[in-house]
Amino acid sequence: MSELQTRLLSAHEKDDREGLIALYTEAADQSNDMIERSFFLTHAFVFALEAGDMRAPLLHDRLREMGRI
Amino acid sequence: MTTDVSGVMRPVATANGLPNDHYVDERIFLEERDAVLYNNWSGIAVAADVPEKGDAKPIEFLGMPLLLIRDKDGDVRVFQNTCRHRGMILVSEPKKIEGAIRCPYHSWCYSTKGDLVATPHVGGPGMNTHKDMPRSELGLYEVPSYIWLGVVYVNASGNAAPFEEIHAELLERWKEFDVPLYHGGEDSKFELDVNTNWKLAVENYCESYHLPWVHPGLNSYSRLEDHYNIEEYGRYSGQGTLVYRQLTGQEGETFPDFPNLSDKWDTGGEYITVYPNVLLGVQRDHAFAIILEPKAVDKTVEHVHLFYAEPKVDEALRAKNATQWKTVFIEDIFVVEGMQKGRYGRGFDGGRFSPAMDGPTHCFHDWVANQVTSHRQQLAAE
Repeated sequence: MSELQTRLLSAHEKDDREGLIALYTEAADQSNDMIERSFFLTHAFVFALEAGDMRAPLLHDRLREMGRI
Repeated sequence: MTTDVSGVMRPVATANGLPNDHYVDERIFLEERDAVLYNNWSGIAVAADVPEKGDAKPIEFLGMPLLLIRDKDGDVRVFQNTCRHRGMILVSEPKKIEGAIRCPYHSWCYSTKGDLVATPHVGGPGMNTHKDMPRSELGLYEVPSYIWLGVVYVNASGNAAPFEEIHAELLERWKEFDVPLYHGGEDSKFELDVNTNWKLAVENYCESYHLPWVHPGLNSYSRLEDHYNIEEYGRYSGQGTLVYRQLTGQEGETFPDFPNLSDKWDTGGEYITVYPNVLLGVQRDHAFAIILEPKAVDKTVEHVHLFYAEPKVDEALRAKNATQWKTVFIEDIFVVEGMQKGRYGRGFDGGRFSPAMDGPTHCFHDWVANQVTSHRQQLAAE
């Protein structure tokens, strides 16, 4: 398990919404696979949307540019 | 399962009360759920339950999962608390919605106005749209709601005429109280669990006949002859007093009055049931609401809330007032529980009404009988 996966699981376990937004964004940034990247961005976007986090529109824009939303 | 309610709809002098099955039979309880409580405007909460934008509170109303929410613009709304995807309960405990309501199952997200705003992976991994999943058509089901005197009413069936149309005469009668009401806060609400059918709480509330017997403490200043009946057949009923006396504190302090009231309310108070399940009381310096939550054919929770004319009123006096009303309402419990037990008497014919004193109670029975009859006729016609 990668170090990032470990941190993601820990954030899920602690219900750390702030951490989940950042970590899923980080996971997307590390991926070279379009589907994988959009998968992680989707998760970051949903948690940002739920939290009313200011990153939500930016994440939405990235997904839209990829034709994924 | 059916009952004969024709005797209920006779004039009060010769009428009988609703038959026993309306108090003890589970099937009639479910029939009344649909015919009386879902088909009309029933109280489910107070607006003060969601004081700030984003506040959300799940409410189960006779098994129907509802979500009370104050949206981002400050409007109170009621939705079905059910995700349009796989039917999952969306919110399971009171919480603040900071951005969107996220379903805990597949994370479909809704705005506080009920719009579906995200459908993650609905078109496959990382693909958040699908041509057959039009978000604009998949928002939350909104339940018609209306707020009056601090109480949130819903029409669960969605078939009733508008609240302000059905209750036009009552709104006109009490228009002087259609001003901002301020909930007294945590010390101004309490619940009473009562082993009774919800209708018996209405029946007892509507009439003043029992006051000298059940509330002897009121006799010293509020005699039977100081009360009058309120009976508007087909609409609402209750009682009024001519000798309401303000509560005073140790230094003679009183609650501030509601603004611009007419002289009638100097010593007047009125106590009316907003059919079917909200018991309201208004006086010059405070109001209260008792929302009856039917839990089973023989179980009811009474949710009591006190309201004032200003946001901050004297704390000690507020506590004294809550205690005083709680004492009165607790005094009524043995009566409504006793009548519930009495309804298991097989020969009991629903009882008779004093033409002079029980008009408001008969008015309620007559209304319920008409609701049930209409519902049965509608089902028969389908």
